[in-house]
Amino acid sequence: MSLYKTPKQTQSSSYEMLSSFTLPLVSAFVHEDELKTRMRRRPVLICVFHGQTASPPFSSTSSAEAASPVSHFHLKPVLFKRLFGIDTALIKSPVILCGLPDGRLCFLPLRLPGSRLRVLHSLEQPVVFIGASVVMKTGPEHAQCLVAVGELGRVLLIKMDKGGSEGECSRAGFTEGCVPGPVVCGCVDKRHLYYSTGSDLLALDLSKGSSGIEGQECGEETSAALQSPTSLNVCRVISLAQPTCSPAGEVQLLGLSIRGQLQRITLPVWRKDARMSKLPQGRCSARDLLSAIGDVYERASVLKTSIKSKNQTLRHLNQVLNISFLLLASTREEHFPIQEKPIRCHAMTKWSRLLQKDSLNLTCVLDNSSPYVLERGWTLTIAAFPLSCSPSAGGESSSTNFSFQFCNLHPGETLEVSLPLAAAGDTYFPVTINCSLTFSVTSLLGEEEVASFTGLQSGCISLPLNTLTVDWLHVLQVKSSTASHKNTTSQPNNITTADTIQAFVRSHRIWCSGRGDGGGGGASALKQEQYSACVRVSSELLRDTLVLKSSDLDPQEPMLAPHNLCISLLDWMLSDSLGGVKMGHRGDEIALSSPVVHAQGPNGDTVKLTAKEVNIGEESMAKESLSAIEVRVESSSVAAVCGLHHAVLHRVQTLLQRAPKRPASTKTVQSLGLRQALQRAECLLQQIQQSRISAAFGVGESTRQMTHSFLSVYRELRENPLLII
Amino acid sequence: MSNKIYHTLSLFDKWVQENNNLVNKWKQQEGGGDTLSRDQSQTHLKWCTSEFETLLRKIQGVPPLADHTQLEVSVVYNACVCFTAQSQFTEAELLLKQATERALQMAGNFPVASDPPVLWRTVLKSVENTALNSCVLYLLCLQWAIWLATCQLKMIEEFQEELTSLVETLPDGVWDDRRSKARGKSFDISLLVMEPRRLVELLQICTSIAQGAERLSEGHSSEALSGLQIASSLPAPRILVAYTHFLSGSCLAHMSRPQMALQCYRKALETDFRCVCALYQSMLIYRQLGNTQAEIQALHLLHSTRMLPSATEPALACTHLLSPSSLLRSQSLSSLLSVPSALSVLHNLALKCVLHGRVSEGVEHYLDLLAAFHSEDHQVHAEVPPLPRLTELYLEAGTALLMAQRPADCMALCDEVISTTLELLPEKLILEELEQRNEIRDVSVEGEDRVAMLLWTGAAYLLQGHCQTHLKDWKQAVIHYTRCINLLMKVWFKKRGFQPQIPSADMIVKEGTYLSVLQKLKGLSLAGRGISFTQTDQLKEALRDLQLSLQAFPECVGAGLWCGEVLWRLGRRRMAAAHWEKTWTFSAQSSLESLPVYLQEPQSGPSLDSTELRHRIQELGPI
Repeated sequence: MSLYKTPKQTQSSSYEMLSSFTLPLVSAFVHEDELKTRMRRRPVLICVFHGQTASPPFSSTSSAEAASPVSHFHLKPVLFKRLFGIDTALIKSPVILCGLPDGRLCFLPLRLPGSRLRVLHSLEQPVVFIGASVVMKTGPEHAQCLVAVGELGRVLLIKMDKGGSEGECSRAGFTEGCVPGPVVCGCVDKRHLYYSTGSDLLALDLSKGSSGIEGQECGEETSAALQSPTSLNVCRVISLAQPTCSPAGEVQLLGLSIRGQLQRITLPVWRKDARMSKLPQGRCSARDLLSAIGDVYERASVLKTSIKSKNQTLRHLNQVLNISFLLLASTREEHFPIQEKPIRCHAMTKWSRLLQKDSLNLTCVLDNSSPYVLERGWTLTIAAFPLSCSPSAGGESSSTNFSFQFCNLHPGETLEVSLPLAAAGDTYFPVTINCSLTFSVTSLLGEEEVASFTGLQSGCISLPLNTLTVDWLHVLQVKSSTASHKNTTSQPNNITTADTIQAFVRSHRIWCSGRGDGGGGGASALKQEQYSACVRVSSELLRDTLVLKSSDLDPQEPMLAPHNLCISLLDWMLSDSLGGVKMGHRGDEIALSSPVVHAQGPNGDTVKLTAKEVNIGEESMAKESLSAIEVRVESSSVAAVCGLHHAVLHRVQTLLQRAPKRPASTKTVQSLGLRQALQRAECLLQQIQQSRISAAFGVGESTRQMTHSFLSVYRELRENPLLII
Repeated sequence: MSNKIYHTLSLFDKWVQENNNLVNKWKQQEGGGDTLSRDQSQTHLKWCTSEFETLLRKIQGVPPLADHTQLEVSVVYNACVCFTAQSQFTEAELLLKQATERALQMAGNFPVASDPPVLWRTVLKSVENTALNSCVLYLLCLQWAIWLATCQLKMIEEFQEELTSLVETLPDGVWDDRRSKARGKSFDISLLVMEPRRLVELLQICTSIAQGAERLSEGHSSEALSGLQIASSLPAPRILVAYTHFLSGSCLAHMSRPQMALQCYRKALETDFRCVCALYQSMLIYRQLGNTQAEIQALHLLHSTRMLPSATEPALACTHLLSPSSLLRSQSLSSLLSVPSALSVLHNLALKCVLHGRVSEGVEHYLDLLAAFHSEDHQVHAEVPPLPRLTELYLEAGTALLMAQRPADCMALCDEVISTTLELLPEKLILEELEQRNEIRDVSVEGEDRVAMLLWTGAAYLLQGHCQTHLKDWKQAVIHYTRCINLLMKVWFKKRGFQPQIPSADMIVKEGTYLSVLQKLKGLSLAGRGISFTQTDQLKEALRDLQLSLQAFPECVGAGLWCGEVLWRLGRRRMAAAHWEKTWTFSAQSSLESLPVYLQEPQSGPSLDSTELRHRIQELGPI
């Protein structure tokens, strides 16, 4: 890809754009490089005139760089012709010389028809300055020498060489030399190139090389001369104006320092016989020296502080990197159990009642068991987003982010934060909680330094910790377990009247909006659990896993009775800290004593969880039947049933992962009526597809009908589960 | 109870609405197109394209249903037009292919081949006489546009039949009728970004033009001509009709019927004056016919049209989507339509005037040309074909000035050339034997051709010598001629395998090489010096120079005649007569146009009356 930019050539009289040229910069690398340092590196332009023109028709050319002096030079005709061609010389066209950030020195004759930008030379480092110098001798007007200076200190002199041997004509000589860089800015007068490195201002005598020695020797001489610039002891100059020369021979430079000081620098009279270095000394007063010492001290102390802070930053950064590697390694190994992650989060849900409103709080605990300190700059970010969302939210899944800054978390310490997860009745579970640790570079570098890094967009490193899921089982509010212990059948009576009314109103609203029940029943059918879903798990499996789990607690009981098995299943489901989330409400910690649990969901619906043992299998093969535990979820709210079903399945899934592997007999599997189940499923699939297409065009069928059909499919699916072995 | 709480539009209606919104937005933009810059409208176009594409993806998400074909085809059409307008042909073709495959599915067939022509034929066959037919024809229309824009004229020829039928069926407005009947409500009609009828018309004439240009470049002029004749009566923008006339003219010119070609070019210009290429081609025909006056006239006109401000804008620019320029991209056409720049035309004009006796006019043009170089406000852009080097232009202008009896001005111009080049001239130059002029030249480090530079300087001295001759300042003339000769002696010639030597007369010199120019210069300068010596009665020197001149350049008329004259004066009358006789035999072929004008023999110097010379020979009587 090539990058184009268009410097505009404006005419001084009318200030209108005359024409524009495109300068292709070939490599993308240059482009990037240029973008990064846009503040400093810009193309440098000067306009060069043929020496013979009496008055320049162009009085100014606009430059892309405001800081560089707008200048033009009258070049010695021979050099002009040699460099830019005789056609250009013939019509005395002004030539734009352009130093590009990639080091190329290009020229463009302004008036020549069909002229294109051509490369004169390549400096191989960003060009910071182009100028022309008379280099003593000859007439006052015509510059004899073009000077270009690169950022890293390469100086290019272009002047006419004396004709070589064998009748060769004179040709333009390109002499390159190096001075200690970096060069910030420069200017030339009749004999000297002045340039600033930021810490010093130096003068370079250009006339030395052209002292009449011919050919190659001349080049060597010049580069030798270039290596010994003279220091003028002025620091922090970032811009220089064209020097003026007084009749007495004093040279005055105007320089702008990095602090914004405008300095007039008067240079001593150059004398040919005297050594340059001796001259400034003679004029140095004690005050100058003192101020120089002051400058140096100031610079040194600034450097010291910066080194100190850099060291600190490095140490900090080391910690950050250690932690990053630790976390990255643990995320890469997926099988790494949560409990073994060195830095992890776990959480607890808790219902609380405030101002007559129930709300669910989540308490997150960040546990640092790594050997590293989590220092300033780290933030714990917790993002909660519901898996599904409410239709009122406009179909956009909304996530809530919380971030907690903390100062220092030493190894072994924990940080507990608590955040509101949901108010009663407005959140859709399950909610996924993503915990991550964020480190902001801003805390290391400070705002403005970060801003100058264009590559570092956000300035943050985000490392995921672990993901927690809060599902329906976590947010159930189990009705006082003592009550259920006493009398499970009288459970409906325990619902307060207010609850009943509320439930009635809610279910009525749902029903009216066409999303409620399938049309059966009415207000009278309210307390009937109309929706149900069940999950069947083979009791053998449960026995294995649950016993395995509880064996350390109760080693005496080798085999759980079926009844006990049901209870312990429910108990496990409601209490286990699955995936790091725990239910916080069961403070009394009384074990369930009946396989029926009544509870209240987050939106106030009552739900009933039942576990009972069933035998599955065809009647004819009674002995082949398997005993299984059926967990049935019943509620008047579809949402509750769906959510709980999902949660229960999720639990069973973890149970399965924990179960020891064991081959299931094929016969058993066959006996489960797989074929029937499959046919049923296919039938349902067809039904779904049909209704989806008609739904897409909304023709003919009412929404209500459609919803109804979907609902029936759903219920069908939930009511006849396959047995989980 | 059964009332819907949320009144939702069906998806179909939503999609139609979305499509129509996009189209209306585009049309608004197009209406106010003048106020927007080119960049802005490009961005807008890009945005529209991506929106159409997104919409299409949604629509194609459902299985193909016959009811929604029209909507789908409309969106495909819109998206493809946008893609084609941005020259994104592969994307457009992909969309078309998907759409046709879906059409096939609707018709109950399953796509088999992936090859576009086979696919198209299958589709066209399977939807024949069904409701889908018109929809598919619209897609074919776009395929046509893509083929045309990517110069796949073979494909278009292959589908010639189908495309012709397409042109015939479309005018009935089947599309709109059917749709309004089917739906009854204007709400449901999906709009199109470009009227298909207009698209087909545009495609038809552009195809004819592209085919014409292609056939013409292949040399099948008569075939091309018949197609173009038909195309010229089609309804189309004026400039396109002008192009058909122009191409017919080019065909006729190829069939060597210049007069008829001129007629066609005139018609093209009458249809649309922006068809400048017709003017240019007419000029070339006049040149071919040798009708110099008409050629100069045509150049005049061409120059003044190129100087008009509108000339810089391309004639095919169009604010609408799918401009003709995006459809006419073939190389052969653009080479036919190209016209040289104003400066190049001006140079041609000036040179013609000077060569054909309209010297004062030519001088004016040359001065205009030079002024243009010195002015500050001309556009800097690449010239095709490139102008000759400025130095040569200066020398030509100088020659013209001398012809127009303005030796002082000529001297000034030559001075400029000399002062520019003099310092750069080498002390000695070795010219290698080269096969052709265009082969590798001796290019020095700074990119200048040193031999050419030396020859230019020599020519400038020669011209100055001519000027002095014109002013009858013989001494000065001798000085200038001598400078020229001295300069030319610096050139050594190196044959392969030999040592460098000063070129001698017995070498075979090819036309157009540096060596020929060198020899010609040498001959002319020696002749000039010889003639000057004759005027100052230095007959010995004169004879030596004139004879050397004839060695370097045997066809030099002046040298031949004056050599005879000198011999006559020296009393060697027989030899003189022989010289004269010999000179008269080659005088006819001496005016070579292949050489630059400044290398031709001056007409302004002292001349010898040939009738008088013949008289003398007669007086001499037979031996």
